[in-house]
This record gives sequence, structure tokens and C-alpha cells, in this order.
Amino acid sequence: MQGVAFARSSEGQLVARGTAERLDYRREGGRLEASRGSAIIHPTPGSSLATYGTIRVLAREAEGEVPNARGTARGGVRVDTARGDSALTDRVALENSVLKGDAPVAARGPGYRVNGTGFSVRTDGTAVRVGGGVRGQLQMEPAR
Amino acid sequence: MTGVLFLLAAAALPAGPLDFKARDMRIEPQERRVVLDGDVQLVRGDLDVKGQHAVAEYAKEQRSAAQKRPAPQKRRGRTQASQTDASFGGQSVERFTVTGDVKVRRGDRTADGEQGVVDVPAQTLVLTGTPDTPPVVRDGSETLSGDRILLRLDSDDVDVVRPKVVLRRSLAQEGSTPAAPVKVEAAHLTLLQARRLAQFTDDVVVRQGDTVARSPKMEARYDGDGQLTKLEMRGGVDVRQGDRRATGQTADYDARARTLVLQGDPMLYDKGDVLTGDRIDLALDSKEVRVERARGRLRPEIHKGEQGEP
Repeated sequence: MQGVAFARSSEGQLVARGTAERLDYRREGGRLEASRGSAIIHPTPGSSLATYGTIRVLAREAEGEVPNARGTARGGVRVDTARGDSALTDRVALENSVLKGDAPVAARGPGYRVNGTGFSVRTDGTAVRVGGGVRGQLQMEPAR
Repeated sequence: MTGVLFLLAAAALPAGPLDFKARDMRIEPQERRVVLDGDVQLVRGDLDVKGQHAVAEYAKEQRSAAQKRPAPQKRRGRTQASQTDASFGGQSVERFTVTGDVKVRRGDRTADGEQGVVDVPAQTLVLTGTPDTPPVVRDGSETLSGDRILLRLDSDDVDVVRPKVVLRRSLAQEGSTPAAPVKVEAAHLTLLQARRLAQFTDDVVVRQGDTVARSPKMEARYDGDGQLTKLEMRGGVDVRQGDRRATGQTADYDARARTLVLQGDPMLYDKGDVLTGDRIDLALDSKEVRVERARGRLRPEIHKGEQGEP
């Protein structure tokens, strides 16, 4: 399919929507491939992920297995949150409700900037970790 | 030690972000904090803090742009802070806690401890240790330790709970016989950089060799080179030197002459002798005593056989 828009709802609530320039979906096995895709995720209110607000993900290439909630994105992946977080890395893998990457990552958000190599993020938003030796800055309160 | 501390130039930390390095970083937005683990290094201006673990806590309330905007008369650093503040999304760290073999460097001064807590708005760094390994501040070969050391980051003032100080700078610089160091303990010490003054309070104990002086409070004064010039003990002083004991309302120690002068109803007790006078001078090295306008009771028979006695 070319020029695809999609939406996903759960219990009557819109939880995600997005677009892709091209999308191949095989119903048998639920395998999906997409290019130049973007997705907007609306976290469940009250969840840890809701702290970030609406999350927007952009990826040049993505593939995955929908029933197994497993997949990879590569060729440049960017994540932005309504809270003000932003992260950029080359590739991301999703498995067992954890997003992982082993490539250099640059992230910034309210009060921080960080560069590292590799990261992991639980999809419920409870733990965001950047590893591989990190360098960055923390914004400080002014003196009284 | 205190003398050396006074030599350091007072300078506030520059405004703006804190640079960090670590093995990894965990972002915990719900707890409003960032956690750094493994060989953590935090640098801001000339302040360098290292440890194994650090937690940076964000201020509870996100300040509005109007609140953050500096007043026109504020110094340049605040304006820079405001600019960087905006680029950081309006949130900023108000406190960070570093633990595990904490090492602090600021200029020529270094400090070690087991935990360091920086209160950013208050511009303080509090170092604590363990009973076996108390926090320490060093400058060259000089060392100051205590139960808790508070370093002011907007000046070079230091506040110490239960300090233990060796006043090495009080040692005689000339002469072939090195004098014993002057050791000071107290419940509390405040080093006031601008006034070149160290204020010891509560249970002050000064030791040099077999001389022990106690008083409720004491001030140590320094010259422009950071050399100790004078110790002023106030509020009732009790000095013991071997069998000899002297008391007075005040005692002044002259670091150059290495004499202790007791005034304010001074009394000298030396075995059976009891002397009073206008003032009592004790020479710490020679152990000579001079009493001005002396009066009292002498029992020379008790001193027979002592060195210098017939």
C-alpha cells in the first residue's frame, strides 16, 4: 500500500495513529514492513508513559510482527514527546515490551542533554536508560 | 590548614548547565530525577565532583518564564543561565547527591567523602563520611576533617561540624628543632574567607605536645599570606601542661612568639604553688612562665630536686 494512514484503538480510545509512505502487511503471521513511517502514541492517562505526554516516532524503515509485538526500525529513528524530550538514533528494536538500541543516541529533554551509545526504554515508560558511557549536561537552578 | 584555605580566591560558580560523564544514565520523569551510575563526573566551572553514583533532583515547580527572567541589574551569569534554561525546557536541577568514594576538586582545594550533597539554590556542598572515614578537605599537605563539612560554592567559606584541624602553619619556620603541631578540636568550625578568620565554637580543645587548652570558643586569625598569627580563646580558659595548670577568662596564643597569654583573673597552679597576677605568659616551647604583678603562695620545698633547683 502506498500513502497509508492508520489508527489503533483500545477499549474505544484512540491509542495510536500514524502514516507511512509505503506499507506491506501480510495477514498470515502479521508481518509488517513500512518505510518513512510516523506514529503518534497517546499514552493511557495515569500511566508512567503519560508523564511524557503524546509521543511521536519517526523512522525511515521499520519491520515487525504485530501479534508478537516485536520489530525493528532503522535508517534513522527519532522520538519526540509533548513533555519536550527528543531522541535520535540509527536503529531501535522492540522485544518483550522493551525498546533497545545499540547505536549512538543523542537525547535531550527538560533539564538534560545526553549522548551515549545504546539505550533501553520500557514501553510503559517506567525506565529510560542511556548507556555505553554517557556525556551530557544538566540544567541547574540559579542561586538564591 | 585554615591558613591555606584562606589563600584561595573566592569566586561564585558560574551560572549555566552542569557537565556530566558516567557509565550510564537513567531518566525517571515521574520521580523528577536523573540517575547517573559508574565513574560519575560532574563539572561546573572550577568545581569537579567525582563519585560512583549520582542522583540529580529537579525542582518541584517548573518556574514560569517571568519568574526565570533575570532582573536587569543581575550579573551577566544569570542572563546566560536564563538563556540556557529555556533551551533545557524550563526544568532545572535543584539538588544532586553523589555517593561512593566522592572526590571534590575546586581550584587547589580537594575534598573526599562518602557522600556529597549539592544544594544548587543555596550554593552549598555538604560532605559526609563514615565513622571510620570522615570527610576530609585538603590543600597541599594540609588536612581538615570533621563529622560534616559544608563548602560554600559562592565563596570559599567552610563550615565544619566536629572539626579536627592540625595548624601546621603554626609551626616555627626557622630554627633547627621542629615544634609539635597545634591540633584543634571543637564542636563546630566556620572559616570566613573574607575576614581571614576561623571561628571554633563549643568544647574547643587545643593541643600542642603536653599542653592542652580548653575554652568554649576560639578565633584563629591569619595574615595576608595565610599564616596563622593568633589564637584567641574566650569565655573561660583552662590550660594544662604536665602538672601545671593555668586558668583565665581569656587566652591569646601568639603564633610567632609561641606564647600563651592568660588574662582576666588569671591563676597558675604548679604543684603546691598558686599564683595570680595581672597576666600570665606561658612559653610553650621552653615551658617558662612569667606572671605580671604576681601574688600568691609558693612552696619551694615541693620543687626541690627539679631541674634548675639547688
